[in-house]
Amino acid sequence: MAERSFAEEVLKLRAGDGDTFKGEGILAITKALLQSGVSYVGGYQGSPISHLMDVLNDAREILGELGVHFEASGSEATAAAMLSASVNYPLRGAVTWKSTVGTNVASDALSNLASSGVTGGAMVIVGEDYGEGSSIMQERTYAFAMKAQMWLLDPRPNLPSIVDMVEKGFGLSEASNTPIFYMMRIRGCHVTGEFTARDNIAPQYSDRNPVQPRREPEKIILPPHVYAQERQKISERLPAALDYIRQQKLNEFFPGKHEQLGIIVQGGSYNTVIRALQRQGLATAFGVTDIPIYVMNVAYPLVPDELIEFCSSKRQVLVLEEGQPEYIEQGIQTVLRRADLNTRIYGKDIMPMAGEYTGQVTLEGLTRFLETVALPGIELRLSSGEVEALRTPLDEADQQALLENVPPRPSGLCTGCPERPLFSAIKQVQQDIGPFHISSDIGCHSFATLAPFNLGNTIMGYGLSLASSSAIRHSLPHKSISIMGDGGFWHNGLTSGVTSAVFNKHDGILIIVDNGYSAATGGQDIPSLVEPNQIIATTMDTEKSERDDAQSIEDACRGAGVKWLRTVSTYSIDTMKDTLNEALTTTAPGLKVIIAEGECMLNRQRRIKPLMKQAINNGKRTVRARFMVDSDTCTGDHACIRLSGCPSLTIKPNPDPLRKDPVSYVDNSCVGCGVCGTNAHAAILCPSFSRVDLLYNPSWADRMAGRVRGAVIGWLQARTERKQLVVGL
Amino acid sequence: MSTPRGETINIILAALGGEGGGVLTNWLIDVADSEGWISQSTSLAGVAQRTGATIYYLEIFPRSALQGDTPPVMSLFPAQGDIDIAIASEIAEAGRMIQRGFVTPERTALIASDHRVYGITEKEHLADGIVDAQVLQTIAARYAKDYIHYDMLALATEYGTVVSSVLLGAVAGAGVLPFSKDSYRSVITATGKAVAANLAAFDASYERARARGVEHFEPIGAAAVEPDVSTLPAATTAQGAQLLERLQVFPESCHPVLYAGLQKLVDYQDYAYAHQYLDTLAPILALDTGLEDHQLTRETGRYLALWMCFEDIPRVAQLKTRPERMGKVRSEVLADDDQLLHVTEFFRPRVEEMASLLPPALGRRVLASPGCRRFLGLFTGGKRLRTNTITVFVMLRTLAGMRRWRRSMLGFQHEHALIARWLRAVSSAGDTGDAQLALEVAECGRLVKGYGDTRARTTSQLGAILERLEADSGQVSHATLRRWREAALDDDEGKAFVSELAT
Repeated sequence: MAERSFAEEVLKLRAGDGDTFKGEGILAITKALLQSGVSYVGGYQGSPISHLMDVLNDAREILGELGVHFEASGSEATAAAMLSASVNYPLRGAVTWKSTVGTNVASDALSNLASSGVTGGAMVIVGEDYGEGSSIMQERTYAFAMKAQMWLLDPRPNLPSIVDMVEKGFGLSEASNTPIFYMMRIRGCHVTGEFTARDNIAPQYSDRNPVQPRREPEKIILPPHVYAQERQKISERLPAALDYIRQQKLNEFFPGKHEQLGIIVQGGSYNTVIRALQRQGLATAFGVTDIPIYVMNVAYPLVPDELIEFCSSKRQVLVLEEGQPEYIEQGIQTVLRRADLNTRIYGKDIMPMAGEYTGQVTLEGLTRFLETVALPGIELRLSSGEVEALRTPLDEADQQALLENVPPRPSGLCTGCPERPLFSAIKQVQQDIGPFHISSDIGCHSFATLAPFNLGNTIMGYGLSLASSSAIRHSLPHKSISIMGDGGFWHNGLTSGVTSAVFNKHDGILIIVDNGYSAATGGQDIPSLVEPNQIIATTMDTEKSERDDAQSIEDACRGAGVKWLRTVSTYSIDTMKDTLNEALTTTAPGLKVIIAEGECMLNRQRRIKPLMKQAINNGKRTVRARFMVDSDTCTGDHACIRLSGCPSLTIKPNPDPLRKDPVSYVDNSCVGCGVCGTNAHAAILCPSFSRVDLLYNPSWADRMAGRVRGAVIGWLQARTERKQLVVGL
Repeated sequence: MSTPRGETINIILAALGGEGGGVLTNWLIDVADSEGWISQSTSLAGVAQRTGATIYYLEIFPRSALQGDTPPVMSLFPAQGDIDIAIASEIAEAGRMIQRGFVTPERTALIASDHRVYGITEKEHLADGIVDAQVLQTIAARYAKDYIHYDMLALATEYGTVVSSVLLGAVAGAGVLPFSKDSYRSVITATGKAVAANLAAFDASYERARARGVEHFEPIGAAAVEPDVSTLPAATTAQGAQLLERLQVFPESCHPVLYAGLQKLVDYQDYAYAHQYLDTLAPILALDTGLEDHQLTRETGRYLALWMCFEDIPRVAQLKTRPERMGKVRSEVLADDDQLLHVTEFFRPRVEEMASLLPPALGRRVLASPGCRRFLGLFTGGKRLRTNTITVFVMLRTLAGMRRWRRSMLGFQHEHALIARWLRAVSSAGDTGDAQLALEVAECGRLVKGYGDTRARTTSQLGAILERLEADSGQVSHATLRRWREAALDDDEGKAFVSELAT
């Protein structure tokens, strides 16, 4: 059950021949898979393809109707290995993950898959996480495509092209017995648009029509077959692929009147190029261009014949290739030199080597290219200088003023997040015993490395925090501290971390943040469940949906040989501090595992909010808790904020005309998790925090008690008030 | 219908997580669709993970301008110099869009809400880290072709809805898009959720956007507005009249601050305490050169009043049992008028706070005796007290009543000894004729605040500064002192302060 539900959108997946399908790029891909007759799909969530997994998950019913098998894989390696179903049988299949991080994890299986070759079309849909909005890496899937010899599709980012390339991609895969990368860029994943649908095709083989098991020893990756497989890649699969690409016209030629010039671009960057040309008066809104363009919807392999055909009539060609190194540009140069063509290729010599080719960067590069070639008859609307001036209209003083007055907005933990009290506790323990070196991990808890917690030194990969403590641990003044999420634990932390640490008698601490979901990627379910927490302030609670096959983190750790293990609710900050201190000082040998438990608040709120509303509407006695800061007693030091960073804990003008510093303030988004109050206690902050329990549909006893209290306290206060009047100014 | 340049109309939207940027984008797509325009939108949700800013980008193109079946090629990137409408749900995000070059003077209409959502660096500051929104406003007005702004959150709150419907009203009222008001209203109606409130908020925002130019931005200062000098209220008691009479000795520019101070002191202790305040302040006035409208007297008066009303247990108890407090609580948590509610306070007094209520000699003995400390320690655990129960209320009232013995308590004597030391430093700086130095010493009074460890840190930092001043009399310049003071507010471990003081 993910954060965003696609239950409504997936109904569109039933669209048939001639229907207009409107929606997001991700949804279009799902529809294209069904139109291609896939037999199985799988994958591992991660931006920007999380939604693809969520769509598939929500589409289980439709997939079931068609006989399509779906799995939410344990990791990208699991997903990649799924594709082995296509090695021996004509089963079409697709898996998806975030690249390049996921591709790193999957590489072992991909190498072997590419060596064996496939009978049925096998496709890896990668969400290319490059450039602005990228959370992990500046690397490209292109390198993996080259090394394993898998073809890389990078279609033009409009829905008809996206859908078309999925269908043709399976054809290419089957024609060349080669698995395929289908690359989706971040903005392409979330692009909206429309295309004309076709009927879904039920897979040829499924649980309704099983395959006849068949052994093909020549496809096993052991000698001597591997040598044959390598030769096959060169002598059979590559030529077959090139033929298919040419015949099916996967790459596109757009003619233009200035035939001596040309632009070569990957499909994914095509729209940006057209916009740049349009702004220079060299293309129309419909993509009719004055400069010829060769669009590589297949980014790898290069098609020498097409490149020669495109370049032979041209004097100067610009290659727009995002990222480094410039694999495509090098490839093109090789092709042209072998053909003895002297077309001057411009590429990274005038374009930036690194960084995303945004609208501005592309316009600058294109303008530089056109000014360099200086073809008579081309009048640019904007000179290089004018284009560069577009970067900012601001003068220096205003730039400085904005630098000082636009506050940074780093990502942080959500309101009520169960991880906040954990990091408050760690920060408080650190205040007591000195600075920590912490091996951090991937997940929401990565945000603890930012303000206001500033905890954590390295992040090596998903589930790798404990492994990354293994060498530094013998050089630290304190026991090693590793923090890992439950998602990372199941992804590979159990094996690469816990098992290895126990085997190596690692005398350190592993904190597993157990919030019950793969929260950072959008709240997908994971093997373990977390118990509903009774100690947090919001009183309404329900049993979380049970699974009879839930796998417990604690059992897994014990099974792996962990002897020292504590499970602590993150919201008990004092207990957490004590447990941390105990783990740091105990003489017990071996790995110390603290499972820090608390359900993801986003998911919890999604579960609780409707129930609470319903309870109130049904006249049931309901209590809703939230916190507030007494602005009369707050002195404006904001120590509470430095220990919390909760979005709902903010500041407001000080009501006291004598004080200049803003007071802390809890806004109305507070979910009443109770961390403010617990921190006020644990860190001995101040007497300004109050919890307010709002009663809905109070009982007879509530009302009676309320009346009595109101009367007595009111009488006492009235007495004070009379006195107060006398002592006024 | 055609666009100005036969091109797409490009709209960029920056919203913070949970502000409904996605909803607004979808509404705009639906409006465009109903008017026969093609849309393409993208977003960068990844970068906004949780509390960051999300950027949505939308291009639209009229179907009427299509040539045959060929759809337009729309860009997925917002580009500098290529934006018609920039929408920011909050003023600092508008600043960020200008910073990134998405607002072009010749082309871009900027629509932004004036309200602030403070960033973590502003919130976690030890004093006041709020950026200057007025600077952002001025720059926005200068660089946008058309700048439409008002407090859209306030408008949303007024109509009991979310900011996205107000933003939609602003877009409609801006008149950049060639769409009818009814088309916008229809998409709100079509959602079927909170339609009446959303429509009302949309209409109100639409009108305000159309009437642009009449809005005047009022920056939210960190401190509430001080009462106007000319309208100091008349005295209501004879004792009060005496105090106000004495106030006339001070320059008018000091009246608002001193009046607020007197009010606080009378409330905190009694009239005599307020007279003591004026007695203490008189010598400061005597050496005030009058620089900056008697800033020295004013600021010394400000921090002296706050310090004399230091928050001990009786004071906290007094504030927590105020008759008007429940009303404040109700409005802060948005409770209905007759809704029952419980208020639970989170107290954790330390041994020091308890001992500070004792007579000085006894208090010091207790603090020096490990046995006594251990005994008192039994009562120092975290306490959750429900102030709306009779027992807790009476207990707090009793604690509040202890203020009548405050003058003979250890805590009082301790604070007043430090106050006297600070004032001596102000005086001796003033005596040297260095008015700026005196002012800086007075400003050091701002450091003293907080409870528990925070209070201990802030007073010890002031103590360290005073010690240096006393030791190197005449050696410390006002600039150095200012550096020390600012370093004290740099981090709460005192790292910057210690290193600054060492140089």
